[in-house]
Amino acid sequence: MVIVKRKELSLLERLYVPEIARGLSITFRKMFEKKITRQYPEEPLPKTEVTRGQPRLVVKDDGNIACVSCGLCEAACPAYAITIDGGETDRPIEREPKRFDIDMLRCILCGFCEEACPKDAIFMSDELELADYSREMLVYDMEKLKRPAAAMRKRIEYVHKINDRWRSAPRPPMLADQHGAHGHAPSASTAGSHASSPTAAAQKPHAG
Amino acid sequence: MQTFEYAPGLVPPRAKTTDGDDPLHGELLKLNMGPQHPATHGVLRIKVELDGETIVRIEPEVGYLHRGKEKTCESLGWRKFFVHTDRLDYVQPLMNNIGYALALEALGGVKVPERAQIIRVLLCEMSRIGSHLIYLATTGIDLGAITMFFFCFKQRETLYELLDAYTGHRMNNTYVRIGGVYADVDERVQDAIEAWIDQFPAAVDEFEKMLTGNRIWYDRNYRIGAITKEEALAWSLNGPNLRGAGVELDLRKAQPYSGYERYEFEVAVGTVGDCYDRYLVRVEEMRQSARIVKQALKLLKETKGAEFLAEDRRYVLPPKDLVRSSMEELIHQFKIVTDMALPKGCAYHGIESSKGELGFFVASDGTSTPLRCHIRAPGLMNVQAIPMVSMGRLFSDMVSLIGSLDFVMGEVDR
Repeated sequence: MVIVKRKELSLLERLYVPEIARGLSITFRKMFEKKITRQYPEEPLPKTEVTRGQPRLVVKDDGNIACVSCGLCEAACPAYAITIDGGETDRPIEREPKRFDIDMLRCILCGFCEEACPKDAIFMSDELELADYSREMLVYDMEKLKRPAAAMRKRIEYVHKINDRWRSAPRPPMLADQHGAHGHAPSASTAGSHASSPTAAAQKPHAG
Repeated sequence: MQTFEYAPGLVPPRAKTTDGDDPLHGELLKLNMGPQHPATHGVLRIKVELDGETIVRIEPEVGYLHRGKEKTCESLGWRKFFVHTDRLDYVQPLMNNIGYALALEALGGVKVPERAQIIRVLLCEMSRIGSHLIYLATTGIDLGAITMFFFCFKQRETLYELLDAYTGHRMNNTYVRIGGVYADVDERVQDAIEAWIDQFPAAVDEFEKMLTGNRIWYDRNYRIGAITKEEALAWSLNGPNLRGAGVELDLRKAQPYSGYERYEFEVAVGTVGDCYDRYLVRVEEMRQSARIVKQALKLLKETKGAEFLAEDRRYVLPPKDLVRSSMEELIHQFKIVTDMALPKGCAYHGIESSKGELGFFVASDGTSTPLRCHIRAPGLMNVQAIPMVSMGRLFSDMVSLIGSLDFVMGEVDR
């Protein structure tokens, strides 16, 4: 326990005039310090891979999104911003979203969708500014949400690092279609050992 | 100065004036302070009746920021409510996250890994510094010390950049999960925090140099709004307000959580319990918090690479690399996100927030939505104390009183 020391003012402090001079000396010294003001709209803020901006659907190098419309991000969203209608597709993943809307006015950028997504389809971009002329235009549909994986590479790698709990095991090359042409998720037998399974998934496209 | 006993609804007797120039003809002046007054620190409305400049009747009115957080928790479910805890006391979002997580962990019986506890302590103390900086800045600007606002916000800006570098957001971070924290604090962020905390005590000295011996600050805080030990306990005040009155109660020492017993720090206690003591206690707490942050950083270096999120498949999402490869883990992922249920029963956990005891009481009926979630907000108790301390004082003292009691309306009204 430490009892805080109450101060009784000395005569000089009571007089106040010398104190004004002392205060002004601090002010003058501060004038020559480095300025920390940032001219925000003119100078954009620094963006890193940690920045959690608006969610985006990642378009892989083969031109498709990885979403299978499982609806887990919709269930995880605390702001009820996501709406998904799923449908069938001829692609090996069998299901894909016919409609994928995110109401950016509802989105609170919490990142729960990114954390929940089991297919690594949705990631938080570094885009933070949001302005438009009507509410309808701020409900983003699938086309507006798509972003090429190359543009979000750093964020994807960072989130993989977090969600894999900083393991040193090699990770799947997320930018290519990891399931290859055969269209089967890695089976339980390949997933027997944790360390080898991502490598197995990574080698699959080459093998096929 | 005449003082009056506080009794709600009772207008104290007052001498009839015979002065013909009195425009009020002996009536009391009724005044509304707020809900949009800048000195009320949020949307607090205070109904005041004045006799000249003396407050004779006062009634704070809360509820202008009521958003039904507790009821929202009952419909949202356990996991999603984390984002709402951020928005309770919005100057220390991570501390609220941790308080809620600790209550859920007590209910679910989750063991938090050591490194997660260290990170939590680090975040708690950084939040405490941030909250006290806001107190100093806003109270300073209310009492005319505009320089304090800039000095404190310069420090706070660096603090928020550090939180931004760790969580990706400046405010509303939502980075705490049941069983630990979402991400590890990497070396880059640790070094930045260390650089900041090394220069911080000097900055606190500078704040003190500006205020402690400043005559205006002194006159407007010294022996203003003194709360005795008994009064503070009777009004269930907590935190710096109680410690300022001379009661040594700090939950970090009294019932340590998250491994607070491992850290060396002192509890700052005042003697008189006036605004000046509460100010000194908060300044001292900032120094002690800086000490804890340094120790936590040292422990983080020692436990490098340890797990920061419990491996508990009941409540904690499995690592993503396993989700991609194993059907079992995929099922866990779906189960936890969609309907994670906590066992039947109830739990309460209080933490020492910057404003007092922040407690979460959670009751579960075994389903995925809470039966009840009650938030013991320290700010509400601080607002309750306004009439007690301001009765019979000058109206201009209200500003320093409201500032020194330190509450955030987001938490009071929730």
